[in-house]
Amino acid sequence: MSAVLTIREAEELLYREALLIDSGRFAEWLELFTPDAEFWMPAWRDETTPTEDPERELSLIYYKGRRNLEDRVMRLTSGLSTASSPLPRTVHQVTNVLVTSAGGDTGEVSAAFTCHRFDVRMDRTHCFFGRYEYRLVQAGGLWRIARKKILLLNDTVPTVLDITAI
Amino acid sequence: MSLKISDLIDDRPEEGVFRVNRAIFTDAAVFEAEMRTLFEGGWIFLGLESQAPGPHDYFTTFAGRVPVLVQRDEAGTLRGFLNSCPHKGARIAQLRQGTARLHVCPYHSWSFDSAGRNKAVKWKAAGCYSQSFDRDDHGLAPLPRFANHRGFLFGSLVADVPPLADYLGEAGKLLDLVADQSDEGLELVPGQVTFTFEANWKLQLENCSDAYHFTSAHPSYIRVLERRQQDMSESVVASVWENSDYWKEDTKGVGGGSFTFAHGHVLNWGVFGVTPAIPLYERAGELAERHGEGKRDWMFNMRNLTIFPNLQVAENASSQLRVIRPLTPGLTEMRTWCIAPKGESAAARRQRIRQYEDFFNPTGMATPDDTISYENCQIGYAATAAPWLQGYARGMTASAAGGNRFADRIDLYPERSVLADSQLCDETLYHSYYRAWAQRMAGAFGA
Repeated sequence: MSAVLTIREAEELLYREALLIDSGRFAEWLELFTPDAEFWMPAWRDETTPTEDPERELSLIYYKGRRNLEDRVMRLTSGLSTASSPLPRTVHQVTNVLVTSAGGDTGEVSAAFTCHRFDVRMDRTHCFFGRYEYRLVQAGGLWRIARKKILLLNDTVPTVLDITAI
Repeated sequence: MSLKISDLIDDRPEEGVFRVNRAIFTDAAVFEAEMRTLFEGGWIFLGLESQAPGPHDYFTTFAGRVPVLVQRDEAGTLRGFLNSCPHKGARIAQLRQGTARLHVCPYHSWSFDSAGRNKAVKWKAAGCYSQSFDRDDHGLAPLPRFANHRGFLFGSLVADVPPLADYLGEAGKLLDLVADQSDEGLELVPGQVTFTFEANWKLQLENCSDAYHFTSAHPSYIRVLERRQQDMSESVVASVWENSDYWKEDTKGVGGGSFTFAHGHVLNWGVFGVTPAIPLYERAGELAERHGEGKRDWMFNMRNLTIFPNLQVAENASSQLRVIRPLTPGLTEMRTWCIAPKGESAAARRQRIRQYEDFFNPTGMATPDDTISYENCQIGYAATAAPWLQGYARGMTASAAGGNRFADRIDLYPERSVLADSQLCDETLYHSYYRAWAQRMAGAFGA
């Protein structure tokens, strides 16, 4: 690992994250996040502006703390959620990766994503797309995710949209 | 096809029978009649006054399939219009919300002021119009009926409807329980969430009033709450359910119930108590002083209210305003917001928002388990060999005419009520939906 975040390291982490989600390796996926990680998908205030302040405005998802993601994974894999059984098949395609700032043990990364989701139960396919913003930090000799912001551009949700498809 | 209402709703109270035919959820002729009769032929919820707060502010919505513009003029008067240019019919306002002193139709530039009056027909003088054209009003067509109940705006595409106060009746008092939570009124938290489900709109109508499904459809959510309760920290949000056990199987005694009203309005409710998990807690004392303890306590109760046919206000895990928009017999759009009293503290607002996202969002941990169940129902409705559904029978021998001691605390006079322990999970409240439905649909079908 280099002292300053390189684009190669950023790509490596983002691609690995996508693979872990798409292959259902949720425990390893959770390991990528710091314990106090922020996980945020804003809602849209109007046609052109996403919400910007999670304290005063609604988000589609907002969590501070990895344990909330652990709850989500527990729900998804519990067998107790009709909407999550069986889990849909997904593939994330992460592109346009840029390191927007890097210094010390922190780096900011932006990227674009599409996620194709096949809902096996209903035999229907959806595509969700948008942009990611990450803050990565060095911890224990590895880059980890301290913040992930998902700006979902097609936000009319067809029935359900869970953390597996964003 | 010659459908009769009695083929669709089997309502024989003297025999203890109430059954609904699955065809009402799938049949195209039924859907068409619902659109004309219910959504385009009577009172419909349009939005909140606070969505157009200042002069020239507007918002857009639909009454059934009909695009509607709600616009405030310079002097502050709110009006409802058909959102369609009288010239060629184009939709005039295309944004969900905005400010416009003047709406200019993007197709041929006819323009309208914020009171709906035509301000210009482009190149009018050179247009060689007949006198007949000049005699026509070229303004936006107003909704035949438009009315405001405590900031909740309603409209009707037909004039022949009862006054809004009569239509809401006693159920209006339940909207007041929401409106009175702040002297400054209500607002929608910025950030609107739209989702669809591939099922009939009446599944949403019913699910809001359905206490029976909670522990069946949401065990994964309940397990998350248990995990959080075992290990509370600043990173997880307190749940309103933690302090209430009205829905648990082993609970004894009255935990809630249901009220039904004329015109299809319905409430189911549960005792929550005045607890800090509810964001309104910071105002508990003040609200009791202003409105009395009875009304204050009701503001804290779990309440799922439906104003038939398209408005639901759910105050349970958090506070949600929902507008139901049927698109086809098997496809429904939901527009949803977090509704909140104005002026609450930053901490209370934050708590309300966090509780909302986890439970109500289609990206959260509860709503998808409902909407997927609606879709399973819609698939199952094809099983017409057994046409009559059995989901309207719980509570049949508990339903009583009039109110009860809980209703009395806020001088509420429902048509019928059920007082329930946690396992009763009344289904007779749906009768109110379908009696109003049958009454209004009778014109479209034979009796």
